[in-house]
Amino acid sequence: MSIFSFFRSAPKPSAVQAKERLQIVMAHERIGRTGPDYLPVLQQELLSVIAKYIDIDQNKVEVKLDRGGDCSTLEVNIELPIPENGSKDAKPSVLKASVSRPANSGKKEPEPAKPSSALVNGGLKKRS
Amino acid sequence: MGTIIVMTSGKGGVGKTTSSAAFATGLASRGFKTVVIDFDVGLRNLDLVMGCERRVVFDFINVINGEAKLHQALIKDKRVENLHILPTSQTRDKDALTKEGVERVLDELKKEFDYIVCDSPAGIERGALMALYFADHAIIVTNPEVSSVRDSDRILGVLNSKSRRAERGEEPVTQQLLLTRYDPERVEKGEMLKVDDVLEILAIDLLGVIPESQAVLRASNIGMPVILDIQSNAGQAYGDAVGRFLGEEIEHRFTKVEKKGLFSRFLRRSA
Repeated sequence: MSIFSFFRSAPKPSAVQAKERLQIVMAHERIGRTGPDYLPVLQQELLSVIAKYIDIDQNKVEVKLDRGGDCSTLEVNIELPIPENGSKDAKPSVLKASVSRPANSGKKEPEPAKPSSALVNGGLKKRS
Repeated sequence: MGTIIVMTSGKGGVGKTTSSAAFATGLASRGFKTVVIDFDVGLRNLDLVMGCERRVVFDFINVINGEAKLHQALIKDKRVENLHILPTSQTRDKDALTKEGVERVLDELKKEFDYIVCDSPAGIERGALMALYFADHAIIVTNPEVSSVRDSDRILGVLNSKSRRAERGEEPVTQQLLLTRYDPERVEKGEMLKVDDVLEILAIDLLGVIPESQAVLRASNIGMPVILDIQSNAGQAYGDAVGRFLGEEIEHRFTKVEKKGLFSRFLRRSA
């Protein structure tokens, strides 16, 4: 044991980590049980709306879901194709949308999340 | 009218059959007419744990299908008065468990027995659903370990939505936790979830804590319910749990590290 280890904070016991991980994952699973989990549907609908206007390459759609302790975030990044009549040095633009939802960790029977208040940010962002 | 208890967990290998055998034996020892039923069709093991594997002639599925009478399939325990075992089929699969068939057999058993203990298979499919569907009380067998706790939470959700009581909007199935394979020494070192952690996460009442014990394997080796090994911690803990189930107030034991005296340290005896 080096002298420096005295100053370092002790790592969390594994049992504490187990409890924290369980509380987070189960808070999310209980929401899914009490009401329909709208995230997968939302993702599909988002894509279908965009596909109505833009020809999306399915391989260029990136979906990330992060389930955190306080809120979960669904991030959809869609790379838009280069317009055919555009200039040669045009770069693909990216459509970015993310949806966050608060998680009710620890509560036994959380209220169903309200979709209306869920959209925190989103919109069109062009990569220059 | 008899009361139906389901011993369930979601996850496999946590001690449902051991607990079913112990619990049923405990209830019968206290004078209640008790039957324990194996719902794990195709993977029967309750007969082995109860030590009656060589006496199985007809089984639960035979009775459901009308191939045998209920009293022909029931095996009377040789050690404990009032205790009967209803083994399941080793050759069929879970589809043999029809809702109507199970209901008919349980209704018949309810007339004769005080307690009917249903030993559920793992999972949340047909076998497990049928084991819990008609239950009045559920005992959730859980190990202090992440996958077991998560699966227990899942099975609690199933009890609250898919049991007959839930479907009919009746008084919900009571839910109590039986925490098995608990090792106070590892808990003290911060290597294992505490009883209170599991209770906080699952938010149900605690029926009992069964300490990790060599007596459990020893008992199953010889086909004896571990509750009959009254010298062992596990046997005593099951005895306490049965008492609590019947409404007695019994303090929890074996949840703290026992202070070993000099003498016992020399002997290094384990329960």
